[in-house]
Amino acid sequence: MFAATAVFCPSDLRGQLDRSGPPTTANPLTRDPALVEAGASLFRQYCTGCHGRGGEGGQGEGQGPNLATSWEVRRAKDQELSGFIKNGVKGTAMPAFPLPDEQIRQLAAFVRSLNAPAASLPIAGDVQAGEATFFGKGQCSSCHMIRGRGGYLGPDLSDVGATRRLGELRNSLTDPSPIPSADYRPVLVTGADGKQLRAVAKHSSYWSAQLLDERGNLHLLHGEDAAKLAFAQESWMSPEFAKRLSPGELNDLVAFLSRQSIRPLEPPKGPPVPKEGAR
Amino acid sequence: MRRQIFLLFSGFVLAFVLDAQVTSEDLLKSPAENWLTYHGDYAGKRFSPLHEINTATVAGLVPKWVRHFTTGSDLEATPLVYEGVMYTTAGNELYALDAVTGREIWHYQSANSQGRGVNRGAAIWGDQVFFTTSDCYLLSFRRTSGAVLWAREFASKADGYSCSGAPFAVKGRILVGVASSGINCFVAALSAEDGKEAWRVWAVPKSGEPGSDTWGQFPLREGGGPMWTVGTYDPDLNLIYLPTGNPWPDFHGADRPGDNLYTDCILAVDADTGKMKWYFQFVPHDTHDWDANETPILADINFRGQPRKLLLQANRNGFYYVLDRETGEFLTGTPFVKDLTWATGLGAKGRPILRPNSEPSAAGTLTCPSVHGASNWWSPSLNPDLGLMYVVTLEQCELYYSSSQKAVANSGFRGTGHNIINARPGQFYLRALDSTTGNLRWEFPMPGPTTMWAGTVATAGNLVFSADDDGDLAAFDAKTGKPLWHFFTGSNLHASPMTFGVNGHQYVTIASGTNLITFGLAAKTP
Repeated sequence: MFAATAVFCPSDLRGQLDRSGPPTTANPLTRDPALVEAGASLFRQYCTGCHGRGGEGGQGEGQGPNLATSWEVRRAKDQELSGFIKNGVKGTAMPAFPLPDEQIRQLAAFVRSLNAPAASLPIAGDVQAGEATFFGKGQCSSCHMIRGRGGYLGPDLSDVGATRRLGELRNSLTDPSPIPSADYRPVLVTGADGKQLRAVAKHSSYWSAQLLDERGNLHLLHGEDAAKLAFAQESWMSPEFAKRLSPGELNDLVAFLSRQSIRPLEPPKGPPVPKEGAR
Repeated sequence: MRRQIFLLFSGFVLAFVLDAQVTSEDLLKSPAENWLTYHGDYAGKRFSPLHEINTATVAGLVPKWVRHFTTGSDLEATPLVYEGVMYTTAGNELYALDAVTGREIWHYQSANSQGRGVNRGAAIWGDQVFFTTSDCYLLSFRRTSGAVLWAREFASKADGYSCSGAPFAVKGRILVGVASSGINCFVAALSAEDGKEAWRVWAVPKSGEPGSDTWGQFPLREGGGPMWTVGTYDPDLNLIYLPTGNPWPDFHGADRPGDNLYTDCILAVDADTGKMKWYFQFVPHDTHDWDANETPILADINFRGQPRKLLLQANRNGFYYVLDRETGEFLTGTPFVKDLTWATGLGAKGRPILRPNSEPSAAGTLTCPSVHGASNWWSPSLNPDLGLMYVVTLEQCELYYSSSQKAVANSGFRGTGHNIINARPGQFYLRALDSTTGNLRWEFPMPGPTTMWAGTVATAGNLVFSADDDGDLAAFDAKTGKPLWHFFTGSNLHASPMTFGVNGHQYVTIASGTNLITFGLAAKTP
């Protein structure tokens, strides 16, 4: 019966962009697409050897860290970030790059953009059309909630634009992981009325399990009930999801999600970034 | 067909199904198994009717779970518990935990809030749970899933405000308060539905308003009066009792001549409109940072043979006060610390009779209590059956310094400061006071470094649980003060204990350092 219901849970949307530093929506570096573009070109020239082509980090000893998920990068002030590039980082393999200040600024802008929350970037796509898709054809709201509207089986997306990067949003739609994340493991439970309900386990172990069903009710199991739980291997979110939407609808959906922030945001200025996001 | 075949349970028994709405009636019945407000109840008594853990069984109390939080600061929250789910906070973080196992159900961390700060707890209403960020947003969450429903900025960090207190749910509104260093503070009542502000009560009046003539020429906007704890509520009188903090600059009063209303007060305000019905000021023209943010406990007990609606407060200034909470009339007040030098007593209307030369000075003036106060926000509790109030009390004196340096709001300047004398470090005590007189019935000494910020909870098991100054949670015979059980929690205590029940079994929880620890009876709990 559940197989007939189209649901999706972008499991990699669970995490937050960063929990230790405030993603700024008004960074002058990331708000200048030309600066970011110039930085991307310099990055390919100087940085990819250690940090990977997209700043995702190199493999093996002596390679550079992932700059796109680095809390040190997010937390660093622009001046500090520029300092890391220009002067290197003591005690690490990161050398100094004695480039002209303008090029340092361009590189910093690119590295910053890798970490920028989606909500801070201008984006192509029709936000209103994306909203219609979210609550309509896309059936996203059957599992996901935005400001109290929607379902319970997937992560709440009310703040997803402020906490995730643009590329992550897009990837989570076009390439969702079939493997459910640890706190969204799918399971079936029996409701108070005897009806079978889809649910996710927020935590489970031999000793206890905490389940949230599709109606938003919690089931707290202790002892034997928890030990008897059985899970599905695949997420409630179908990896086939994106195929039901046209590229335009997908783009609009990303645009809508990118604007979701529980705090008011200054609207981004400047021309939209390319579809692939800031990279 | 990509879906796996799911194994279903036969005879699957649900331990819990939670879909109820938390109502005013639920809040009025708390605490029982549920603990639904910061103090457990609306009256601030922190008295639980649970008695599975009692004087006979407490020796079997053992830790059931410990949860570590990766927060930067020591935890200060008193958790809430509703139908087996515990809601607790750290700075800019809110957690829903399975109260029996400590396992996480959901967790929210504000990515936008700058800094960690401290936080003292959550509020619950309907199907929502609320907490404030350090930069003064009130956030609303769906209780079971943690989905964010709305966020409302009720004060600006840029203006110098900060927020740490637990919100307080009254009649569909969520009360939130602010602290500052030199900016007029307030409590606001926001709609639980959408965060819209219904009313706001300021600590310091605006120019031309009653009380504004008690500041000389001092700019009223910079009067201070932090309202960082959110008070108590009497549903019959429909009054909310809001404590206010001290005037600014803390230790230098020459530029603000007068009583500096409504700092260091209890404000009794109408729960629907926020309109003030009465106020009582504990320390007119405070120059020692003795705010009135201690719990104003509401109790209906006989006073001198007559049933009275009372408000009780063990104040930071060292006096225990009994007020009539319908009118604000001062009934009696008595010192609950031995070291009290700044006043010789209280007048007929409760105004302190000042001892000369107690003002902070350039050379330093030795005064008791210290700036921490004889009491503080660490929670007292009241056993109404025994008529005893349990107060963690600090006997301590300090040198208070004052300077006429020009005061600049939000600069951190407080009018100079205070210093402990090394030879007289002071000491904490757990004291049981007669609730209508403030007279000492018993006390238990708590030697230690005088660094704790932790209080008590009393129960119908004839027990009072109290933190001590050396990292222990301890249980005492409520009547006699005899220590019956103690457990070293591993860290300094900056939070008060609470108690709750699940499936008929009682638990006790306290935050210790960056851990939350829950205890239950070894023989009874899973």
